[in-house]
Amino acid sequence: MNDSLEALLAGAQVWRARHGSAPSMAGAANAASAANAAVLPTGWPQLDAALPDGGWPLGTLIELLLPSHGVGELQLLLPALCVAGRNDGSGKDSGKDSGKGSAEEPAICTGDGQGWVVWVAPPLAPYPPALAQAGLDPARVLLVEADETRDRLWAMEQALHSRSCGAVLAWLDAVDDRWLRRLKLAAEAGRTLVVAFRPLARGRESSPAVLRLVLAPADGGVEVEILKGRGGPRRVGRVPVHADGIT
Amino acid sequence: MGTRDLFEAARQAVPLRTPPSAPPAAPPGRPPPRPPRPPESTPTLVPAAGAAPAPVPRHLWLALQLTDLPLAAVASAEECAGGPLAIVDATHVRRLVVACNPAATAAGVRPGLASNAAYALAPGLEVRDRASAREERRLQQLARWATGYTPFVSLEPPDTLLLEVRGSLRLFGGARALAGRAVRELADHGHAVACALAPTPRAALWLARGAPGTLVESPAHLAGALAALTPGAAAWDERAYEQLARLGVRTLGDLRRLPRDGLARRFEPALLAQLDEAFGTRPAVRRRHVLPERFRERVEFTCELGSLGHMAPAIDRLLDRMGRFLRVRDVGVARLALTFVHRRAAPTVVPLGRGRPCGDAAEWRLLAHERLGRVELPEPVLALVLRTSVTLPLSGATDPLPGLATEASHANAGALLDRLRARLGDGAVTGVCLVPEHRPERAWRRVTPGVETRARAGRAGPGAAVGLPGAAARVPDAPRPLWLLATPERLRVQQGQPCHDGFLRFEAGPERIESGWWDGGDVVRDYYVARTRTGVRLWIYREPGDARWFLHGVFG
Repeated sequence: MNDSLEALLAGAQVWRARHGSAPSMAGAANAASAANAAVLPTGWPQLDAALPDGGWPLGTLIELLLPSHGVGELQLLLPALCVAGRNDGSGKDSGKDSGKGSAEEPAICTGDGQGWVVWVAPPLAPYPPALAQAGLDPARVLLVEADETRDRLWAMEQALHSRSCGAVLAWLDAVDDRWLRRLKLAAEAGRTLVVAFRPLARGRESSPAVLRLVLAPADGGVEVEILKGRGGPRRVGRVPVHADGIT
Repeated sequence: MGTRDLFEAARQAVPLRTPPSAPPAAPPGRPPPRPPRPPESTPTLVPAAGAAPAPVPRHLWLALQLTDLPLAAVASAEECAGGPLAIVDATHVRRLVVACNPAATAAGVRPGLASNAAYALAPGLEVRDRASAREERRLQQLARWATGYTPFVSLEPPDTLLLEVRGSLRLFGGARALAGRAVRELADHGHAVACALAPTPRAALWLARGAPGTLVESPAHLAGALAALTPGAAAWDERAYEQLARLGVRTLGDLRRLPRDGLARRFEPALLAQLDEAFGTRPAVRRRHVLPERFRERVEFTCELGSLGHMAPAIDRLLDRMGRFLRVRDVGVARLALTFVHRRAAPTVVPLGRGRPCGDAAEWRLLAHERLGRVELPEPVLALVLRTSVTLPLSGATDPLPGLATEASHANAGALLDRLRARLGDGAVTGVCLVPEHRPERAWRRVTPGVETRARAGRAGPGAAVGLPGAAARVPDAPRPLWLLATPERLRVQQGQPCHDGFLRFEAGPERIESGWWDGGDVVRDYYVARTRTGVRLWIYREPGDARWFLHGVFG
């Protein structure tokens, strides 16, 4: 019986909390992360340092749990959205200064290797001048309105299957667990940044998402807490997303 | 120098001298060279000079000129028979009449009149603009009809069909019978037609215009028939006609008797070339009209089917057959329609469309099933019809090399759009773009993704590239919120301070936005960035001299 248990653990088919750095798991964990090595720097050094893979993991499902809309969740994501979908995948030049660069590139549409940033059922339409200020070309934005959760999930899945999107953002509430697994599978086929925004109350439910963060508003930034992720739950602290927004 | 000028003058004078000798020869011998065009309805067939057995030419061209096409394209049969109606060419400065119905003709309106003159002649005249696109479509429909006479049909826009009928003479019982039947059938369709038959296409064309009803079967009689035509039948430009009038040329025969080198020097090369084509001394090339292809198939069910699920296999089979049809031709379609035929209710038509032509049955199946999920049938279905739009060549895209994923992701992006639209509806899938405008709520708008964004980028491209101030001004420097409320929300005010979940603390501002006095949407606002107790940043404004505060955005 012990042998079979060992075999299971060696195959990295069982996830064990707080055992990411255990010697017996190190090899398997590294192999797993190498297989799914695509990571996008968040653009916030403090957050990069705190996240298990050193950035947003691509090709998997990320959940952001919010007490309300507008706590700074988009500011947190924007640097990554600007570089998501780039072919080389090295987004080291991310962050605020990429704004000028993308503004000068002509005719950015979906086909220049960047791909769409799909917004599935956002509470409001994102405001294009603000996106442009942050360096995200509004021409890359694709808004999908869907009232029913089923349609939202379906649209996400289609976007992931099409391999033409740099990032897929969706606003979801109550979702069947099986659907989330299905989305995760669809995401694993590509290198898309997939983020689901959900109400804070959904944090109590289980989710197949690889990374779940709880966001809360804070002075000059957003308070981030890792609810689920390799290395276990922990507080990240305040990420100063608004600090340089003041002129 | 002087001698050379004289020499030139002498050479140019040669053609000027010839005409006076020629015209007297032509007019006295015969009646006026241009027989008046027969009125509407069936034109009489004038037998050719040589109906006797003669060497049969290699080709025989039947020209069918639809004299009332501009009228038929925009007016129904009843309207044509009703009060005075004229069609004018709106692109012409004087709005010339191009066609008119019998009532207008009776009042004296003629093609070629300015619309003012036509109004003067017939005060109750109804005038409509010419619809060239519809005329073209009508002509193409008639080209399809004409393939019943010969496989080689050629269009001569704006109003003439050319049929190569040499091989069809025996079947239809000779040229006269064939032409008569064609004219009768067109008359049944409600078209007035002028026809002519000749061994060369251009001669047939000119005869139809200048001497309708002429049938010339033998090349030996061609020159004689053409020589009697006025140059007006050739539809050259006005300058050429002025010159011809100065030279005293009244018929094509006169023109042909002039020395060629003089003609070549004085006129456009096209004139001489067309003349040679008409008389058959130079081969004429006609482009064959290829009928656009469509796929149409109908499936009858043995019993009435009530659920779409039961019909799914039939739909798949239809789409598969369409896929094979398209594959062997290496074409695709951009639109197709599935029609469900009911016993009593009107048929349910489900249109499907894609951004670019696609010939892959599997892709269409995906789209069809997404779309059919939203369809409600009023009654059980008796039959199913699949019709496609005109087939289009595929873009010829192949799988790109690894790393050059551009084209593939472009195609995928298009397919994704098609699928999302099919299920969620066209309006649910949009893109956004910036609008150069200071008022925040007007600084953006929704656009059709893919199409318009590219156009916008193209327009903005040059400006952005050279750094024009206008292009740079698109993105404001002052902070803008990521979420903008559709309508500003009024904030509670306590002790003169705006509140939202407690007192607000001001972070930045004011930013004065004052614009729009010219279009009635006048806006004067002072914007501030404020923070709530919990740290959420808001974009709020106040109008000068007004104590009310409004929430306009959240920085998110």
